[in-house]
Amino acid sequence: MHRSPNAARRRLVVAAGSAALGAGVWRPAFAQANEFKIGFFIALSGPAALFGPTQRACADLAAERINKAGGILGKPVRLIFADAGGPPAETAKSAVRLMLEDKVDLFIGSHDSATREANIATIKARTPYIYSPVYEGGECSPNVFCLGETPPQQAQPAIEFLAKEKKAKTFHLIGDDYVWPRKVNEQVKKFVAAAGGKVVGEEYVPFGAPNKFEEAVTRIKGARPDAVVATLVGADNVNFNRTFAGFGLDKSIARVSLLLEENTLLGIGAENSGNLYSCMGYFANSPSEGAKAFKAAYLAKYGDKAPQLATIGADCYSALNLAKALFDKAGSADAKKLAAASEGLPFDSASGRVTMHGRQVDKDMYLATCKGTQFEVIETIKGVKSGTACRA
Amino acid sequence: MDPASFVAPALNALFGIASLAIVALGLAVVLGLLGVLNLAHGELVMVGAYCAYVAQSQGWPYLAAVPLALALCALLGWSVERWLVRPLYQRPFDTLVLTWGLSLLLRKSAEAIFGLGYKSLTEPIGGTLEVLGTSYPRYRLLLIATAAVVLGALFAWYRRSRTGTRIQAMVGNPDLARALGLPVRRYASATFVAGTCLAGLAGVLIAPLVPVQPFMGLDYILMSFFVLVVGGLGSLAGLSTGSALIGGVNSAVSALSDSTGGYLSVLVIAILFLWLRPRGIHAR
Repeated sequence: MHRSPNAARRRLVVAAGSAALGAGVWRPAFAQANEFKIGFFIALSGPAALFGPTQRACADLAAERINKAGGILGKPVRLIFADAGGPPAETAKSAVRLMLEDKVDLFIGSHDSATREANIATIKARTPYIYSPVYEGGECSPNVFCLGETPPQQAQPAIEFLAKEKKAKTFHLIGDDYVWPRKVNEQVKKFVAAAGGKVVGEEYVPFGAPNKFEEAVTRIKGARPDAVVATLVGADNVNFNRTFAGFGLDKSIARVSLLLEENTLLGIGAENSGNLYSCMGYFANSPSEGAKAFKAAYLAKYGDKAPQLATIGADCYSALNLAKALFDKAGSADAKKLAAASEGLPFDSASGRVTMHGRQVDKDMYLATCKGTQFEVIETIKGVKSGTACRA
Repeated sequence: MDPASFVAPALNALFGIASLAIVALGLAVVLGLLGVLNLAHGELVMVGAYCAYVAQSQGWPYLAAVPLALALCALLGWSVERWLVRPLYQRPFDTLVLTWGLSLLLRKSAEAIFGLGYKSLTEPIGGTLEVLGTSYPRYRLLLIATAAVVLGALFAWYRRSRTGTRIQAMVGNPDLARALGLPVRRYASATFVAGTCLAGLAGVLIAPLVPVQPFMGLDYILMSFFVLVVGGLGSLAGLSTGSALIGGVNSAVSALSDSTGGYLSVLVIAILFLWLRPRGIHAR
């Protein structure tokens, strides 16, 4: 999922600063013994901190509702937020602290895939771990439960739409150079071939570098593909799409971006968002009853000044609901019992009722077109399978 | 091959060089003439970009952002020089820590005022223009022209004007210049302010092309620093050569292979220069 651009250089500059600030873990003064403690990784620093306020607000909303309904395993839930906005190794260090000092019962992470891999290698299945955002699929490590949209859910419908409705035959792929875009594009190529199309270009930009896109856009202009599939994140995504439209390509070439949510679209801007599509399990204006109810509860709690709702953030709400359903059904924190309980488990996500299978989530997907800086859902695809089936 | 197919890559290279030169200019002035490596330079570019955002969101004409950015950056530059940098001249490491702290403060201030979200600006001159058989975005062409004019004017002024000569005297030997009765302190202050104003101006120029956000400055400080490492300090010739080499190679390699190759070559060039020729091409 979202990985902060410029991270590498920022690490250098910020290293001294974070050392001075000490641990990236927020620890309230009073701790109670009889609590269900959740180590919650969100972005508190770095450019991904843009999502931090929404992540926190959504998590707090879910925790409040769960506590009103009797907590998890009969114990009140306490969230201990930790920063996942820095380098993966730093986040993994916080995970160790949360395990040893706070003795958390569960981890929830809303962060990029590189950080997930570092966390899993550190936690080593000793504590259950729910990974919530959109990702590349295929994560089957023990005691890990994934919520996010996988390529079969996200990329496949988007490519079928481009091939069918936009008559796209040739595709150009552009992404940031790290695990999520590369693994997603491996599958994108299969979907393109299955739809009778052809990938005519594939390129990656260095992750965390001050990227400019004039050369890439000129290359695309010369190759004249019918469609572009972007796995760029954050500011790179904004930059690419602005440059693309600036060169006037938005009129003739369709674009689908695989991590395009409300904040990124605001950056891209109304005059650059023509012919641009996104396929997600959640949009702030998703037409589902579940999404409407979630949004109403969110606005009722936080009012008009509430942080912008988006898929990153809404995933935190879903993750906590999964935690309650999962632990209460298993009746304990035992890894085997949790895995067994997870199979076929229904729970309420931010978009409505979904079901967990193979420790992944089957869900409804929404294909949206950009109208200015708003998403307009043009197609709802019901009950799309994750394509990843981990053994219980 | 069709000659028109070379036009777009050439314009891309030119745009890369021009945007790099205009962004690095302020840093070059402050570092080259005063010996202060202003790590908050990128954040001053950011301040300029937010000025453009404010001007546009208020419905003012785009050019109104220029005086706004100049005034704000002049005020910032003057106060920082007067109270923070002045006691620290000749102490390069201390100024480094100082300006680094300043960059954090500016970034956090922007975050407090505008939030972390991306702000998008409309290009004041949108659309594309037909250039030798290929269409190129108008605003990028305007930026290339503006950068050339600003650099040219500054070069001519610095070479020909009396003040330019006096600043050269101050840079060459501050003690002697002071002994000759030159107001060295005032010149140093004015030079610092000029550097921060140029950073603000660069921010106004690039704002419509990039996402405006508190972290954007980090993108510019590093590339600007590379330009100065390669070109050498203290002369506009150094700035131009550095921008041409860094921007040109980045653009050419990005066009021929990909952006990773482009960025890699920039890093290799910067490392080679730091290692083998640390004073740059135009060593003073």
